[in-house]
Amino acid sequence: MSNMELNLVVNGKKIKKSTQSHYRLLDFLREDLDLTGTKEGCGAGECGTCSVFINGKLVKSCLVPAAKADGAKIETVEGMGNPEKMSEIQKAFCATGASQCGFCIPGMVMAATSTLRNNPKANIEQIKEEMGGNICRCTGYQKIFDAVEMARDVINKEKSEKVFDEYEKPANSFIGANVKRIDAPSKVTGRLKYAADMKMPNMLHMQVLRSDRPHAKILSIDLSKAKKIEGVRGIVTCDDVPGVDNFGVFIEDQPVLAKDKVRYVGEAIVAVAADTLEQAKDAVNAIKIKYKDLPALYDPEEALKEKILIHEHYKTNLVKHIPIRKGNTEEAFKKADLIIEDEFSTQPVEHAYLEPMAGVSYVDQDGVLTIVSPSQNITHHRHMMAKIMNLPIHKVRFIMSPVGGGFGGKEDMIYQGMLALLATKTRQPIKYVMTREEDIVSTAKRHPSRTKYKMGLTKEGKILAVEISMLADGGAYGCSTEGVMRKAAILGAGPYNIENLKMDTRGVYTNNTPSGAFRSFGALQTEFATESMLDIAAEKLNMDPFEIRRINAFVKGNLTHTKQELNSASINTVLNELEKLASWEKGSPQSRGNSRKDTFSKDNRDACELGARLKTNGNGKRAIR
Amino acid sequence: MLRYDNYFIPKTLKEYFDLTSKIKDCRIVAGCTDILPWAREGRGGDVFLKNVVDVSRIKELNVFKFGSKKVLLGAATNYQKLFLDKKIRKSLKVLPQVSVWFADDQIRELATIGGNIVNASPAGDGMPAFLTLNTKVTVASLKNKKIIKQKMPLEKFVKGRNKVALKNNDLLVDLEVENTDGYGACFEKVGHRRSLVISTVCVSSLVKLNKNKFQDVRIAVGGVCEVPTRLTKTEKFLKGKSIDENNIYAASMLDLDVIQSRSRREYRKEVLQNFIIRSILKSLGKNNVEEVIQKFDNKVELEMESAHV
Repeated sequence: MSNMELNLVVNGKKIKKSTQSHYRLLDFLREDLDLTGTKEGCGAGECGTCSVFINGKLVKSCLVPAAKADGAKIETVEGMGNPEKMSEIQKAFCATGASQCGFCIPGMVMAATSTLRNNPKANIEQIKEEMGGNICRCTGYQKIFDAVEMARDVINKEKSEKVFDEYEKPANSFIGANVKRIDAPSKVTGRLKYAADMKMPNMLHMQVLRSDRPHAKILSIDLSKAKKIEGVRGIVTCDDVPGVDNFGVFIEDQPVLAKDKVRYVGEAIVAVAADTLEQAKDAVNAIKIKYKDLPALYDPEEALKEKILIHEHYKTNLVKHIPIRKGNTEEAFKKADLIIEDEFSTQPVEHAYLEPMAGVSYVDQDGVLTIVSPSQNITHHRHMMAKIMNLPIHKVRFIMSPVGGGFGGKEDMIYQGMLALLATKTRQPIKYVMTREEDIVSTAKRHPSRTKYKMGLTKEGKILAVEISMLADGGAYGCSTEGVMRKAAILGAGPYNIENLKMDTRGVYTNNTPSGAFRSFGALQTEFATESMLDIAAEKLNMDPFEIRRINAFVKGNLTHTKQELNSASINTVLNELEKLASWEKGSPQSRGNSRKDTFSKDNRDACELGARLKTNGNGKRAIR
Repeated sequence: MLRYDNYFIPKTLKEYFDLTSKIKDCRIVAGCTDILPWAREGRGGDVFLKNVVDVSRIKELNVFKFGSKKVLLGAATNYQKLFLDKKIRKSLKVLPQVSVWFADDQIRELATIGGNIVNASPAGDGMPAFLTLNTKVTVASLKNKKIIKQKMPLEKFVKGRNKVALKNNDLLVDLEVENTDGYGACFEKVGHRRSLVISTVCVSSLVKLNKNKFQDVRIAVGGVCEVPTRLTKTEKFLKGKSIDENNIYAASMLDLDVIQSRSRREYRKEVLQNFIIRSILKSLGKNNVEEVIQKFDNKVELEMESAHV
C-alpha cells in the first residue's frame, strides 16, 4: 500500500495529510478526517448519501479518487452548520420533519444547498430535478421538498424565520400534532453517529467470505494463506462457536457461520479480522474452499415434494403451516350466486434501507461482550447471543445504534454473531460494515408468495365463503417465516365479515435468499389477493368497489377470522374518509378507464418523461405517451 | 474495491506522453464515474492497479472553441457543461437534452464526453447524439517521440462493443462537432430511474427544414445494437420530402431491423418506432410547424412539448 500527501481546504480549514493512494474522497473524509456526516449508502454513485462540494460543485464523493481533490476546496455537511448554529436549510429540514432515519439527510442537505445556491428562486420542479441524484427510503420525499421550499422562502425573505419554530403544542395527545423531533438537529448536521461512523482504539476490521453456491457441502476450508497475511488478527469459522450455534427470529435454525454445508448464495462461511479493511479483504480472497455441489431447490412447489431437503434433520421442507377454519365453506359455496377463482403472486422485495448493515463489538473491562448495531430486536438478540457464546445473560450487552432505516430488515441477527466471535477471540474491538452488494445478497427479503383464491358471493355482493391457500418461499433459513405465515393467515382475508373461511398459509425452505420480516409482515401478500378479488367481484356484479367493501366490512359484534368478538370496528369510517379524499366517482369498475374518456386526456395525464407509456389507439397501433 | 499505488494527474499532452512512456501498467481514467462502481462485488470485484493516469486536467482535453461552422469540445468536457453552457444550448440543442437524461447533476460534474465515447458502451447516451452532429475525433499518439494528431469520423473511431481505435497509450483529445444552429433537435430515452438510468432505447435526432420540406434529417439510435448507429434509410427517405404525417410514419418503419438486442426485442422495436416519430415531431416543434404536429397529434395522440429545453 502506498501513500500520498494531500493539501486541501476542508470546511475552511487548511489540511495537509498523508493518506492511502487508493482512497476515495469519501474514505479520506471519513477515515482520515473523521468527518462521518458524509455517509456511504451504496459506493456506486446511486444514492447521494456521500454528496459534498468540491470547489463549489456538488459531487458524489464515492466517485472521486481522493487524489483528484488535492488542492481543492471541500465543503461537507459539517461545514453547513452545527446543532447550535444551523443553516436555514437545516432548520427547515427540522421544521418539516424531513429527517426520519436520517441516513440520507446529510446528502439531502448538501443537494438542497447546491440547488438553492445555483438557483435561489428554484421552483418545486427545479428542486426535484436537481435533487434527483439523492434517494430517501423513509419520507416519500414530500417533507424534504417542503423543507427546501420553506428554506428558499426564508432565504429570499418571503417568509419569516418564525416558520422554523411553528410546532404545535400537543394538548391531550401527540397524535395528529406536529411535534419537534428531538434528534433532528443531530441528523441534519451529520453529527449523529451510526454504527459505521464509530471508531475505537485498536479497532480491527472484519470481512466475510460468503458462499457463491446455492446448495453445497463444504469439503474443506483452507485458511493457511489467509493466516499469513500481514495484519490478520483473527479468523473464525463455525468451529469457533462455543455454545448452541443457531439463531432466528421465530425458528432458531441459522448458524453464525455455515456448518457443513451452505444453503444460499451469500451465506457467511469464514470471518476475518485484521488491522485494516484492505488486509481483511486480502485474507478473505486468500481463503480456499472446496465444495461438493448438491441439487438445489428454487421453487417452493418443488420444495413441498420433499425430494431435496434443505435441513436434513427436520425431515421436511415445511417451515410452518397455519390453518384457519371457520364455518363450512363447502356448504356456503353451494348457496353462492357468484364464485370467482384466481391466483396471485408477489415477488421478493429488498428493504433498501439507506444504511447498509454495520456493527461494532468489544469485550469490556468486566468481560461483558458488547455489540453495537442498528438492530431492531436487541433483547431477543441478547438472549440468542448468550446461548451462542455460552455466556450468562449478564455478560452480554446489546446497544442499539441509530437505525438508518430498517423496515423489518434489521430484525435478523445476521452478522452480530461473527462480531461476537472475533471480539472474544482477539480481545480487540471489531468493526464490520457491509457493502450494499453484500447487504443485498445476504440479508432477508420480503417473502415471495403464490396465493390460490376462491370467493363465493351473493348477487348483492355479500361474501358467503372464502378459501385462500398461500405458499411462501421462506428461503434457506427460518428467520421470521413462522410469524409471517401467522400474520398472513390471521389478516389475509381482510377487514371483512366472512362467516365461512378456509385459510392455509405455508412457508417452505428453498435455496433462495432467506425471507424475513418486512413492513406488514405477511399481511400484504394475502390482503393484496383479497382486495384484488373484491375488485374483480365488483366488476362482475356491476357494483361500486367501495360499496362492495362496505357491505362486507367488519362492524361491532362481528367475529374476526380467528373468532374473536369485535367490540369496535373502524373500517367503514376509513372507507368513507378515503372515498372523500380520493374524489371518488361512484360506479362499477367497468364505467372507468378508457370508456369514461378521462384517462389520457389533456388534464389528467402528462407525458411520462420517466419512461415510455404505451397506449393502444383506435386503429390498433400502439404509441408512446 | 479499487486499489492502486499511484495516481498521476498530468496537465499537458506532453506531460501525459512523457509519463506514460516511462511507466508500465497504467490505466487511463477521466471522470472515474464508471471505474469506481465497476470495481465492486458482482462486477470487477477487488481490482488492483499499479498506476492510474487521470487525463481530465490535460489542457488540450479541455478546449472549447465555438465557431460558426464547427465547435471543438475537449474530450474532458463534462456533461454538466453541455447541460448549462448557453452557446451549446442555442446551437447544439441535442447535447443539453442528452445531458438531462445523463445521470444526475452530481455525476455530470465528473463524467466526461471522451470517457463516455471511449467506454464504447452499446447503451452510451453520448454516442447517438454525437453521431447526429457528424462528429470527428482527434486522437493523439506518440510516434518516434513525437506527438502525432490524427482526425477521424466518430463512426470509424468506435469499432464495436467496448472497442475503439486506440492503441497503446493513444489518447482521445477532442471532438469536433458541426454547429447545428437552426436545427430542431431531440433526444429520447427510456429506462427506469431518470437520474441513473441505462438506456433500453435512446434516440437522438436533428431536423432542418426548408419551407415545408425536410432539408436535412439525422437520426441515431443507441441501446439496441453493438454500436449506436445512424438510421440512414429513414434519413434518406425523408430528405427533400414534404412534412406530413404519412411520410414520417412511413420513414419510421425503415430501420427497425437495426435492433440486435437479445432481450425484449419486440418491446424495443415498438419503442424505437415511436421514438423515431416522436423525436422527429419534437425536432419539428422547434421550427414552428405547429400545424403539422397538430395533424399528427390527432392521429397518434403524441405529446409534443419538449420538456427540457
